[in-house]
Amino acid sequence: MVQTMDKYFNSVYITDSIPKLLPYLKVTFMVVGLSVLFGTLLGFILAVAKIRQGKIAKKFADLYTTALRCTPSIVLLFLVYYGIPAIAKNFGIDLDDVDKVVFIVIAFSLMFAAAMCDVIKTAYESVDKGQFEAAISVGLSDVQAYITIILPQAFVVALPNIGNSLLALIKEGALGYTIGLIDVMGKASLIISGNINAHALEIYIALSIIYWVISIVIEQLFLKFEKVFSKGKQTIKVT
Amino acid sequence: MLNYKFLVDTFFVALSGAPTAILITFVSLLIAIPLGFLLALVRINEVKFLNRFAQVYVSFVRGTPMIVQIFIIYNSVPLLLATIFTKLNIKINIYDVNPIWYAFIVFSLNTIAILAEVFRSALGTVNKGQLEAAQSVGLTNVQAYTKIIIPQALVVALPNICTATTNLIKGTSLCYAMSLKEITLRAKVAANVGYNYVEAYIDIFLVYLIICIIVEYGFKLYENRLRTYKGVSA
Repeated sequence: MVQTMDKYFNSVYITDSIPKLLPYLKVTFMVVGLSVLFGTLLGFILAVAKIRQGKIAKKFADLYTTALRCTPSIVLLFLVYYGIPAIAKNFGIDLDDVDKVVFIVIAFSLMFAAAMCDVIKTAYESVDKGQFEAAISVGLSDVQAYITIILPQAFVVALPNIGNSLLALIKEGALGYTIGLIDVMGKASLIISGNINAHALEIYIALSIIYWVISIVIEQLFLKFEKVFSKGKQTIKVT
Repeated sequence: MLNYKFLVDTFFVALSGAPTAILITFVSLLIAIPLGFLLALVRINEVKFLNRFAQVYVSFVRGTPMIVQIFIIYNSVPLLLATIFTKLNIKINIYDVNPIWYAFIVFSLNTIAILAEVFRSALGTVNKGQLEAAQSVGLTNVQAYTKIIIPQALVVALPNICTATTNLIKGTSLCYAMSLKEITLRAKVAANVGYNYVEAYIDIFLVYLIICIIVEYGFKLYENRLRTYKGVSA
């Protein structure tokens, strides 16, 4: 049963599997995109709850972020996947035919919301309170002050954290394969089981290269954003 | 409806996996703290060649999913070991090796990269004059680091070390991929009998929640103690 390395490792499998995997990035990005959308919305609501200091709403938001921070993604994923249909069944609703991808998007939206809640809260708190008062004093309405004065400044502060949360989401998203999602990771495990587990290493290396490139691109993109958006900030400081 | 008896029983099944998760976390930190610190020094002092290696290493670990890293190690290290064992005529069957050893390797390698970044940014916050001042009063480099630089950097690094630790604990949930019986896999196996997955995952969720809250609380206490030493910034 002793295997030798050279007999079982062949780099041709790396280059061969990359083109087979790439089309499935579509699914990966779709899950990530939807989770970002819903997660940001929920995260924003939670952040408002924390900032407004309403007693019950703040308690709930604090509890939510703590619980989510302490839950491994894979546990959250299965909790949602098994839990939501079980709860629905109690109300006589049958969710057996719902696409798996829905549960995956729900799970990762919940996770991303917790991250975004803290990102938004920190960014909001970093903007000097005087900015809001100054905006009001020159005749802007509350909404105008938030949109034209507070938001752009908070956004610059939030950018690096948004980037990190997005990268974390993409990486954690790989776990969707455990409940049968055929994204880039799911396709890799299908190829491997199709080969009866032979050359799994090469295919996982190919997969890691794909994820690595995506991460580097996103990281660089966010660095660019940061430069572009913080330009205005510096000129204000100088004058 | 929930099966409450199963819920309670399985909580203790999941809890029985906690020592494994904590052991992996502990061993990984023990290995990763010194090596991560060395890597941070390599990056700061821009040691030739090693700096480039450290950059690529950190970028790879941070840029790829944990589960993929686990599969890469789990599919390569046994093959490597098997090759070495046959060459050296060591009669150890590679399939008898406890998967916890692979977990130690994966999570140490991962945490080294994470902590290298944490230490690097923390050391960056300490004023350069501190090192020069320490040297000017006759301390050696090692003394300057252990007595002056590290205590200051530690205060800054602690919240990030806490995050790295909780992420590590959460990451051990992926050990199912190596058939390692920790918290998640134990409860899941218990659930397989009667399809009580909802109950099992509630238990798993609770166990991680309890462990992480204790760890976060512990770090908070330690941070407060360090801050009182620092005095001024408190």
